[in-house]
Amino acid sequence: MGELVIGIDLGTTNSVCATVQGGTPTVISNRSGYRLTPSVVALARNGKRLVGSLARRQAVTNAERTVVAVKRLMGRRWSAKMTQEAIQRMPYSVVAGPHDDVRITLGEQQYSPPEISAMVLTELRLDAEAFFNAPVSKAVITCPAYFNDSQRNATKDAGRIAGLEVIRIINEPTSAALAYGFGKAQAERQVAVFDLGGGTFDFSVLHMFKGVFEVEATGGDSLLGGEDFDNRIIDFLAEPFAQKHGIDLRKDKMALQRLRDAAEKAKCELSSLKQVEINLPFISATQQSGPLHLQATLSRDQLEEMTAGLVQRCMKVCEQVLGEAKVHAGQLGDVLLVGGQTRMPKIQEEVKRLFGRDPAKNVNPDEAVALGAAIQGAMLLHDEQEMLLLDVTPHSLGIAIAGGFFQKIISKNTTVPTSAHHVFTTVKDDQTSAKITVLQGENEAAIDNELLGEFMLTGLRAAKRGAVDIDVIFDISADGIVSVSAIDMQTGTRQSITVTASSGLTEDEIRKATQSNEDWMLAQKEDPEFQDHKTRAEELFREFEALWPRLTRAAQNGLGQEPLQRAQAALSVARLQLAQRESEALAGSLDRLERMLEALKGALARSTGGR
Amino acid sequence: MQNELQQLEARGDRLTHYELLGVGADADGGTVRRAYLEKSKRFHPDAWYRKETGKFGPLLSKWFQRLSAAYQVLSDEEMRAGYDRDHRAELSQTDRVAVERRELSVAEEERRARERRERLLRTKGFARIGAARKLYEEALESVLNGERTQAIFALKAARELDPKRHEISAKLVELEREQAKARANSALASAKEREEKRRFPEAIAAYSAAFQNDPASFAAAVGAARCAMETGDARAATIWASRAVELNPDDGSARWLLSRLFVSAGMKARARTELAALLNKNPDHKEAKALLRTL
Repeated sequence: MGELVIGIDLGTTNSVCATVQGGTPTVISNRSGYRLTPSVVALARNGKRLVGSLARRQAVTNAERTVVAVKRLMGRRWSAKMTQEAIQRMPYSVVAGPHDDVRITLGEQQYSPPEISAMVLTELRLDAEAFFNAPVSKAVITCPAYFNDSQRNATKDAGRIAGLEVIRIINEPTSAALAYGFGKAQAERQVAVFDLGGGTFDFSVLHMFKGVFEVEATGGDSLLGGEDFDNRIIDFLAEPFAQKHGIDLRKDKMALQRLRDAAEKAKCELSSLKQVEINLPFISATQQSGPLHLQATLSRDQLEEMTAGLVQRCMKVCEQVLGEAKVHAGQLGDVLLVGGQTRMPKIQEEVKRLFGRDPAKNVNPDEAVALGAAIQGAMLLHDEQEMLLLDVTPHSLGIAIAGGFFQKIISKNTTVPTSAHHVFTTVKDDQTSAKITVLQGENEAAIDNELLGEFMLTGLRAAKRGAVDIDVIFDISADGIVSVSAIDMQTGTRQSITVTASSGLTEDEIRKATQSNEDWMLAQKEDPEFQDHKTRAEELFREFEALWPRLTRAAQNGLGQEPLQRAQAALSVARLQLAQRESEALAGSLDRLERMLEALKGALARSTGGR
Repeated sequence: MQNELQQLEARGDRLTHYELLGVGADADGGTVRRAYLEKSKRFHPDAWYRKETGKFGPLLSKWFQRLSAAYQVLSDEEMRAGYDRDHRAELSQTDRVAVERRELSVAEEERRARERRERLLRTKGFARIGAARKLYEEALESVLNGERTQAIFALKAARELDPKRHEISAKLVELEREQAKARANSALASAKEREEKRRFPEAIAAYSAAFQNDPASFAAAVGAARCAMETGDARAATIWASRAVELNPDDGSARWLLSRLFVSAGMKARARTELAALLNKNPDHKEAKALLRTL
């Protein structure tokens, strides 16, 4: 076996880690035994960093210091309209960063979205290291196909901060197709991937032949996902309440978090039930009427009605991409559904209607993306099965030209890696610098496209205007990441290019964040006292478990339920303290548990002895 | 692999798209695609990930991109036809024959398909709906094989048989739009190539073909104007330049062209208006300022 490499699906709501072991793609369960790790990061009241289900579980009581859905902010500009809309719904505080980027306030500190994502990645990395019992430093991370250059760079930065060498960023739908096609790659077929995740929607059409996966066209909406479905339910619950009591629950961070949990739960239940009850007691209170409760029923029909617009947006994207791939829905060999939101019956129904077939059944919507990333990692590092992925760029790349127009240089759906060039001519005598504005998008007006950056061509040769021709070369790597270089065509000298406007982190900031993340990991590892407590705790847990059947029997035979309940409560407290690494408090709990164990053993001995 | 790259380098630009992909000029869409995918397996940089490629690394990447570009042209019917037309002289003897054979067989197939459609069109009563569906499905099949022209013919017949089926007319409109766009792109590409070689009359013809297929193409209008000016046809140049200005009023190059044309035609007032508009957008245009002062 070669170098260890993991595949990570860094999702809006959940993340998954996988690897290829002995030729089989496998999901790596986290240290709590779950396959999915919530993409949630929190700062607990005691100042500890919590990640995953622990962070998620305490979100209601600590909403302002719990970061959810940070993926929606990755690589976004503070000034963008989309950003402002997205942060309206965030319970935590989002502020402007130093380079028109966003920062998240968590306690005393401010973090960039890549730093928060890095905390999730670090957790997954530690899970993988526990799985392999060896250090892991290489990863393939997925991102929505529709992510632009800044968002991809932010994802890559997050990996670096987490101490991972990101050998490739791959698109989520492509990744899912790799997982689907793994092992049956010889057959020639065309498949579509419908990927509706927590925060983004992607749709891709691929062609497979002898181990080559060629993406034919891809499209999507980077602000459409399961969370939007939740938000519709939240509005449905909050609006009548506001009318009746004059209180907007969405403005109260704690109530909003409870609404969010209830909405998500209701949505999931409505995938199998026709109607659900939503009960949120003590959601708010007023001076006059005291505590207020929220009670509502929601039917599947109602949910479908309020989210019909969202479903239609997905279907429109599908039709457009099919057109670009020049393929008719009925001609596809298979349709894969990926992302938790595709469990909604209405979506399955609409997909079936559009494609005239049932979606493929052998794809796990939560795990396929991570498995595909693991396969890509193995393909690159271990020559896995002579497979190859030919992906495309999801957006056209171009520059701003005179009159505020956008000139395309590389058009969308071009296979990557690719490059193209454009010749600039000086327009003034002795002009020594020129500014190039690089954009990504499909709009004719430059301003309507996403700004990737502004580049300065500096140190140009002084000459009459028009006498200096600069060949500017745009490269898109296999990661979908853009780089720009320039050459003076007359002299053949390379021109220096400086990025003057980019929303990303600077090299310095990344280095600092990587260092502080490493320090944090070291602090976690190097606490011998905690290690002792941990061993002791695990032994105690095992003893209790072994004793439990006898204890339940004894409880029915006169010992009573009370001591068992007390022990159970103490055990769950200790488990939480163990997970949160609260060394001192854990030691106290363990002492208490030991005393309890002794007492219970004594009681058992007496009851058997007395018989 | 290294030998193969060196051989490719040695032949350089003289290599045709067919030779590069290793297919005959009569290969159909499926064959072209399979050849491309097979070749990618060896040329794509990922196939050599973390392996010592030394000075061959950049070559590998360059030839992979050449390969994708060739595939892109040959996988589109219109662009391939344009390529065959423009590069016939460079094709090998066998390929030239193959292209002719393909063109003949396409013509023959088209004739047969036409006859069949005409037969189907004579269908009476309810059977017409079924016949329309059959044609529609055939059209979709043709699209998959990259035969857009065939698909369009089939859809036209289908529409006549069953005018109420929305999907037939929708697909037809979509394909026709695509065809016009592909034709415009192909014409534009060959126009640019000809302009670079200073074959201006041919370039004008190609630019005007591009403009006919895409009346919103600023590049076509301004290109035709440039070439017409080179040939000394001031009247045609003026017409093209005004079209270009209409399409993109903010572009300096088109207005500059038009102002100079007006000046040489003695139409000073119109030249002044154009120059003023130009300077309004680009106040630093020295030549425009100078020209305006002389008027």
